[in-house]
Amino acid sequence: MNSPIAKTSSTVRKDTRVIDGLNLVLADSYALMALTHLAHWNVEGPDFFQLHQAFQKQYEEMFEAVDEIAERVRALEAYAIGGLGTLAKVAQMEEFKSPAPQKDYVAALIVAHEKVIDDAVGTRDLSGEAGDLESQDLLIGRIASHQKTLWMLKSYLKS
Amino acid sequence: MDVSNSAACSTPAESVCTPGLCRERCALEVIDELLGLAGSVTGEETDLLLDLRWKLRQAREAEETMRLFCDLRVRMEQRHYLAFFRLRRWLENHLVAAVHICPAAVPERVPVKLDHYCVEAIRRVCLCAAISRGIVLLAPRLRFAFHQVPPHVLAVEQGRALAEA
Repeated sequence: MNSPIAKTSSTVRKDTRVIDGLNLVLADSYALMALTHLAHWNVEGPDFFQLHQAFQKQYEEMFEAVDEIAERVRALEAYAIGGLGTLAKVAQMEEFKSPAPQKDYVAALIVAHEKVIDDAVGTRDLSGEAGDLESQDLLIGRIASHQKTLWMLKSYLKS
Repeated sequence: MDVSNSAACSTPAESVCTPGLCRERCALEVIDELLGLAGSVTGEETDLLLDLRWKLRQAREAEETMRLFCDLRVRMEQRHYLAFFRLRRWLENHLVAAVHICPAAVPERVPVKLDHYCVEAIRRVCLCAAISRGIVLLAPRLRFAFHQVPPHVLAVEQGRALAEA
């Protein structure tokens, strides 16, 4: 009987669309990590301690994630993109100005997380089509993590 | 309805919506979702939101657009911060300040930054930005303008002109 789920094997399923998508998510994540770090450094206001710590937790989580994404690209026998200029060019993520009001940092990060989620969802779907379940699993984890952060950031903005 | 969810672009000025410039959800969509929030928008705010929506759709009267936005921002921003952040960023990406050094001169275009809540304060910041570029303001005049008139508005106007001819 044919299973609808692809079998795992020692041979990786290489698909250039998936590799490009993973590199895009890698670039997005790196760019978002840098923006979160910027917010961590420069946020000011009555909620400083709360936001400073929350942003630190977020960029630390993303630092581990970018390594995982890059290593998945290598596992697919391709090369991960890197270098700040290349990553910024690929991510095309709008940088926010700093200093800014504390709520603006949160709102700008929400917009950036939405961009990462959009690209990760596209790549997750491509991975599914290509039968690359390991990449799909990795992306599902990333999407869930960004969605959780979105929930927290949006909750902060609610009056 | 949730104002905070992401959705596709639906603004009239597609040609200036490049990923690097405009990642945020588009202004019309944000307004539509604000209008759908039952109980959280007053009747007066609804009127103003509808007026702003019309001005954005036409993308012709930037001065009035700016006035309406600032009015609504003062009234609603603290209750709908993310929605107004998206609107603010969209307007910054789609509006420009045209600074006339003197009436006959070609206007200098400077970016609009919506860091203030009052139109006149924003105007003054734009004038300062023009001065910082080294422009000598003999008899300065500043008007806000849209980067580009959307194709559907141009088509309507061209059709009207043809009909009148």
